[in-house]
Amino acid sequence: MLRITARSLASAMRSTMIPTSSRVAAVRSLHGTEESAEEFDKRYEKYFSREGIDAWEIRKGMNDLLGMDLVPSPKIIEAGLRASRRVNDIALAIRWLEGCKDKCGDQKATLYPYLLEKITPTLQELGVPTLEELGYDKPELALKSVYDA
Amino acid sequence: MSALRLVVPRMPPSYVAWKMGRRFASGGGDGVRLMVGDREVVGYGINGRPIYFDRSDFPFPAIRYRTVTPEVCALREKELGDWKTLSIEDKKQLYRHSFCQTFAEFQYFSPDWKLALGLPLWLLAIACGITVFMKTTVYKYTPDTLEEDRQSAQLRRMIHLQMNPVTGVSSQWCYNTNKWK
Repeated sequence: MLRITARSLASAMRSTMIPTSSRVAAVRSLHGTEESAEEFDKRYEKYFSREGIDAWEIRKGMNDLLGMDLVPSPKIIEAGLRASRRVNDIALAIRWLEGCKDKCGDQKATLYPYLLEKITPTLQELGVPTLEELGYDKPELALKSVYDA
Repeated sequence: MSALRLVVPRMPPSYVAWKMGRRFASGGGDGVRLMVGDREVVGYGINGRPIYFDRSDFPFPAIRYRTVTPEVCALREKELGDWKTLSIEDKKQLYRHSFCQTFAEFQYFSPDWKLALGLPLWLLAIACGITVFMKTTVYKYTPDTLEEDRQSAQLRRMIHLQMNPVTGVSSQWCYNTNKWK
């Protein structure tokens, strides 16, 4: 009786274990693939230009991108701007521009004009002002200290 | 980096305390949510809590900075249309409704370094003062045993007794030549 039980148990175990192990192997092998820069750009462009994307997802994508060690490519920036237009949030678009400018780091003098040149048609089409037009390239208002409030 | 700035409620503190207490007592409450007041929650935020802060590596916090007012509602209505019809002032107002400070503002070099440098220097100066005071007044009279000949006599006795002969003071002394090794 015990032997029969053990045998059926073993066969049951085998049938459940084998697919699991192959699945594990498939997942583990994913670590080996490296995403190229073009694929990365395309992925985020697709993410932002998806129909029905909401402001939560846009913010999530932008926060993720601006937390990475990279400068978003003009295509991603444009897709982000258009996404902000679709959810009717101009503050989001302006903040996104600021964030992308900030990502240029110490290369602002060379990289930012290039980015601006590439995205200017989109900015004009959507009516998003540049930071220079808003005067946000320099501090505008001072904040009262919390100790004085 | 800018400091984490919590949104200050505009309700009387006693009311907030009562409501928070009530919420916590009933279980599953959240005081932060109450402090948000009328502000729109527009995202997940950094940890799922509706708090506002300005950070360059996380520029979109979970809530809008200002509460909803009729003027802002009118502007938001206008925002639904073509953005080219919005004036620069409108755009700025919409931005300030969502965010407290621009990047240029919260990254501006603040004079906090003066305090950060000055305070430790003051503490160092006070410590030096205490040291000088102790040296000149408190420790003016040392015990007799700290005198030169007393100390050398003690060392001689230690070598005589072969104290600590493996790694210590006697291991440094050669007993054949009566000299330091």
